[in-house]
Amino acid sequence: MRLNAKTIAFTVANTAAVLGALFIAFANDLERPYWAMFTVFVVAKPIAGAVRSKAAFRFLGTIAGASIALLVVPPLVQTPTFLCLVISSWIGFCIYLSLLDRRPRSYAFMLAGYTAAIVGFAVVNTPESIFDTSVARVEEIAVGLVCAAVAHSVFFPRNILDELTQRIDRTLRRGGTWIAHTLVARRSVGLKAQEQLADLVSDLHILYEHVAFETSNVPRNALVMQALQDRLSLILPRVSSIQAALVAVSASGPLNQSTLDVIEAASRWARAFPDASVAASGDVDTQLDAALEQLTVAGKGSSEWISLVQRAIACQLRALVMELSDAARLAQALKNPIGGTAGVATLLGAPSRRVLSRDRGLALLSALAATAATLMACTLWIEGSWPDGAVAAQFAAIGCALFATLDRPSKGLFWGDCGILLALPLAALYSFAIFPRIDGFASLALVLAPVVLLFSWMQTIQRLEGVALVLAIGFSGGLALQSSYRPDFASFINSNAAEVAGLLIAVVANLLFRTIDPVCNAFRISKSGWHSVARLAQMPTLDTRSWTRQMFDRLGLVTQRLVSAKRHDLIGDRIDGLRDLRVGMNLATLQRIADALPPTARMSITSVRSAVSDAYRGLIRGEPLRRPDPCSSIDHGIAELATQGRTETSEEGMAALVGLRLDLTSPAGRYVPPPVNL
Amino acid sequence: MIGEVEIYGVFIPGLLVLGILAFIVTLVLRLILRRLHFYRFVWHAGLFDTAFYVVVLWIAALATLPR
Repeated sequence: MRLNAKTIAFTVANTAAVLGALFIAFANDLERPYWAMFTVFVVAKPIAGAVRSKAAFRFLGTIAGASIALLVVPPLVQTPTFLCLVISSWIGFCIYLSLLDRRPRSYAFMLAGYTAAIVGFAVVNTPESIFDTSVARVEEIAVGLVCAAVAHSVFFPRNILDELTQRIDRTLRRGGTWIAHTLVARRSVGLKAQEQLADLVSDLHILYEHVAFETSNVPRNALVMQALQDRLSLILPRVSSIQAALVAVSASGPLNQSTLDVIEAASRWARAFPDASVAASGDVDTQLDAALEQLTVAGKGSSEWISLVQRAIACQLRALVMELSDAARLAQALKNPIGGTAGVATLLGAPSRRVLSRDRGLALLSALAATAATLMACTLWIEGSWPDGAVAAQFAAIGCALFATLDRPSKGLFWGDCGILLALPLAALYSFAIFPRIDGFASLALVLAPVVLLFSWMQTIQRLEGVALVLAIGFSGGLALQSSYRPDFASFINSNAAEVAGLLIAVVANLLFRTIDPVCNAFRISKSGWHSVARLAQMPTLDTRSWTRQMFDRLGLVTQRLVSAKRHDLIGDRIDGLRDLRVGMNLATLQRIADALPPTARMSITSVRSAVSDAYRGLIRGEPLRRPDPCSSIDHGIAELATQGRTETSEEGMAALVGLRLDLTSPAGRYVPPPVNL
Repeated sequence: MIGEVEIYGVFIPGLLVLGILAFIVTLVLRLILRRLHFYRFVWHAGLFDTAFYVVVLWIAALATLPR
């Protein structure tokens, strides 16, 4: 039992919204008040901005879907087969579009798809009522949405920014701790930490979209958020490249004193983070700076492999410290409502359009599954002269749309079906035992209140959220509250059996088209990541920040799947999202500094890029990534850069090349400086 | 504001039209208020926004009342 102020506020708000929606719908004699009722459950979220954005997108989608039904049903109603084909292709098309965009707005596409099915299939026998039914559907949904939006913004809502900044703070704090661990123990960053960080960055991207819909007191700083995402997604590859370099150094003998000093100072800095870095630079900062300087100076003048790696460590650590402090300052600025961006204006990049990684193939399969399920239900309906077949077709479409994002939609659909079966006895109890004894809205509200309260409370618990939603939909659908009480046991059984059958058809269609093993999907996602590394290596003009965001998103998707399937062993020479990110980060550094280099050095960097791209194309074909041929061009690049003066740029370029060499060639190999011609 | 508005042969309740207009007006006004950092002085922004909308709608209804 979790009863605190937050859950109580949510539960009360939601119950008020449900009863309010029912009251308005009854008072205005709407056709199906229960649609307003379950709309409230569908958009209910503990965060005001999320409710409001979901409401807005649901409204837009409903209007679009109803308009499509209005457009296609009257001309096609004489040819049912053709009508079914058109509507089910429309559903598939909408689901495809909604899966390509993982942001909240994708919900509008989903709604546009199944609203067309709900309205279109409901009026096939009475085509003259199409306009009334469309308007009724839009009205009922709108009543539910407005009630939910108002209730959830008035009853002490939480706002999205507080939620996000809490998570950012927690992650930064934890980030400091595990950086210290990684440096001291020289173990790679754990999968759990990877998953958490990648999850957070993707959530920042997706959830921050809601901020535009937040109550007006919440500051909107999309640029700060983007800059913060950029910093956060670089932390993991930075740390892991430092760790890889440390491992390479310690493999060739004990660490020297200056390296040990750096580790000591850096882990002290990381432990004091983020509190110390937000305040002015303290003791810890100066100590770390001194140690880093020491390490760089110690290796200067030598092109010995080990000292190159040490200099790379110093360079990467410096970058890490800067990125982390920037992240802490940006996180601070995000919370500050007024003039938040003033202090961090230099840290902000230009606004850029970012897309999360997407999977066209899988989206197409989901679309096919939805079209197939709807068509199957339609065939049964028309060929079998099944009076309630329309309901089955509607629910096949709804089910496919709602569960399309899962790896195994059939499983989710099956449990959803079970949930609806569970809710039916309760609905039957209300319909046939309780409703005959009540009269008027007040008593209806009283008898419904316990169930609505229970479902609303269940929605506050993350584990029960999905269950609660399915139960609420099953319950409201089963009740089918209408303005006058018409007990009809036969139609209750018929329409609910059709609901269950429709979902079962969706299960079958998804089993046929859309069953993909999570591990297999993780492999597919990694593979599209390799394509994207190869593309980055070839195209210098690619926006590296948005590239990093996309790769980081992929890393999260892959780790999440592997962790839940308990296949940690698969991460190794082939699947390694962190390595891909490191390679990309180093490529980006090379691209940034290339302009400042003389032509010969630039040439050698171009050949390094094409070698990296070849290596990744080989990986896609199934060859191992670590091969000798990138080695020679990287070595050539290192030798070329070593002849340049030791400026900041050449130091960074050197660190990037060393990083690439550690990742793309065999770990035992060392760079041998070319003999000096006297 | 009593009565219905006809748009291409479809009758829409006048209150609905006013409600939509009032919503758009509130959106613009809220944007301006946010720019002015007005919300520093608001205790409960959700409640304020809702009440603000009701006030705007009421003014719109008064203004269009047939005399």
